[in-house]
Amino acid sequence: MTMSSTLNIQNLTVSLRSGLPLLGQVNLTLEPGEVRALVGESGAGKSMIGKAVLGTLPPAARVSGGQIFLRGQALDRLNAAQRRHCVAQSAALIPQDPLTALNPVRRIAPQITDPLTRIHGWSTERAQARALDLLERVEIRDPARVMRSYPHELSGGMRQRILIAAAFAPSPPLIVADEPTTALDVTVQKQILKLIRELQKEVGTAVLFVTHDMGVVAKISQKVSVLFQGRVMEDATTEAIFTNPTHPYTRALIAATPSYADPSRSFSPVPAELIAQMKSEIAKEEVW
Amino acid sequence: MAVPLTCPQTDPAPALFSVRGLRLSFPDSAHKPLFAPAPRIEVLKGLDLDLPKGQITGIVGESGSGKSTLGRVLVRLMRPDAGQVLLNGQDISTLNEAALRPLRRNLQMIFQDPMSSLNPRHKVWRIVAAPLARYECGSAPQIGLAERRDQALRALERVGLDPGFGERYPHELSGGQRQRVGIARAIALEPEFILADEIVSGLDVSSQAQVLSLLKSLAQEMNLTIAFISHDLSVIRHLCDNVIVLNRGEILENGSVEQVFSAPQSDITRLLLDAIPLPELDDKWFD
Repeated sequence: MTMSSTLNIQNLTVSLRSGLPLLGQVNLTLEPGEVRALVGESGAGKSMIGKAVLGTLPPAARVSGGQIFLRGQALDRLNAAQRRHCVAQSAALIPQDPLTALNPVRRIAPQITDPLTRIHGWSTERAQARALDLLERVEIRDPARVMRSYPHELSGGMRQRILIAAAFAPSPPLIVADEPTTALDVTVQKQILKLIRELQKEVGTAVLFVTHDMGVVAKISQKVSVLFQGRVMEDATTEAIFTNPTHPYTRALIAATPSYADPSRSFSPVPAELIAQMKSEIAKEEVW
Repeated sequence: MAVPLTCPQTDPAPALFSVRGLRLSFPDSAHKPLFAPAPRIEVLKGLDLDLPKGQITGIVGESGSGKSTLGRVLVRLMRPDAGQVLLNGQDISTLNEAALRPLRRNLQMIFQDPMSSLNPRHKVWRIVAAPLARYECGSAPQIGLAERRDQALRALERVGLDPGFGERYPHELSGGQRQRVGIARAIALEPEFILADEIVSGLDVSSQAQVLSLLKSLAQEMNLTIAFISHDLSVIRHLCDNVIVLNRGEILENGSVEQVFSAPQSDITRLLLDAIPLPELDDKWFD
């Protein structure tokens, strides 16, 4: 473990109160300025990793083993208040659904500036200026008017851009992006991915990017963790994943992604035999 | 089947739907003057198109291009302002609800979000059987509950869900399974036409591949005509026979997928193609 890692997760296990494991022995590191994609099918536990880091696991789930180091700080050694403070200082979330993530009865401005003034201790003027600046960076026309607007007055694409601006505003060392483009159509998705990439380079933020789209993985990330039933099946550079994937599941996920450029390749679901085989391997491990 | 690729004008399949001069507008209530009617926003600006029988036609465009509105006019959930919608030669654009009634069983829908389009309080078999109760089936008018249940289970079987699924509730299913239930409900009445509006955009890639190959094989088996609305041209390339590209209520492209994908006529189509992240490394994609 290098002390300089933004995020270092070691043997993380998350289970339901009933004992059912959601994540098993997850290991991953995230260096400053790096984008790591967490990829897998629905229910693979990709979002759960981000939630465990941010401390927003659902009430029924808890961390039952392993450690999370956020900028070298072991989160399990902190009490609840310290942990909240530590996470709020160094991490931000870009949520999946822009329609429900903003408070419908508050204007946009305080929703961006509140964390800056309350958590990061900025002056109101500085927070306002930063919010305006970032809204411009995410290509929102007339940011002053948007700051005074309510969420319902804005389109889905605009709201998602506002959430991105809000996440990047304090220049946090870590951003968890939980499927930030799944709700958007392809042209808006490309703009948003481009934005995340530019801001991430500019600010030097490390991003944990949750997605199920291997196409998005190929474009945005440098490292990839492939997840299945809460286990990391493969952890490699993006280049290795696409040029020389070692795990059959990784190959199956790439094969399941349609490509207009290659109509001769018939895309196919992950084979049932492969899933059965991986499940039995996981079951064996659990007995052990 | 040998289709002469060199001669794109020949159209061997007759049209199930022929749309001519279709116009539709919504009132713009945000800009309504106090005592005057609201100005209209034109959503469909005079569309002409055909949906050939037994083929899958992809309808693609950005948000707000009018693709869902077009779909809703085809199944007459909306009434157009002007123009004709010919279904097997009969204009359905101005028919009232009573006259539409017998046609409705032929026009089925599958929706984007199965969680909100399946009744959470009903078991799966009841959801699939619901349309059977509303329409006379074949020669027998008003079939009994037991028979409707059997038919529903048969429809579930056709989409690859064994009868045990009939006793489950929607929340007990995965996203891909829910979408199969939506398909089972749509095919239960053996319709001629299915409108599929963004039915795979909420699914992960593996479930997406399953649902699409299911839809394709059902279309062939049942000789279905499908309008497949999507913003993903990769999916359309693999699934559809024809594609219509819409932009701001106008048709930019209309032709076979081979034609449109090999030589896109409009910049917008190229823009839509370039925006798709392909599963391959490409440093220059963002430039």
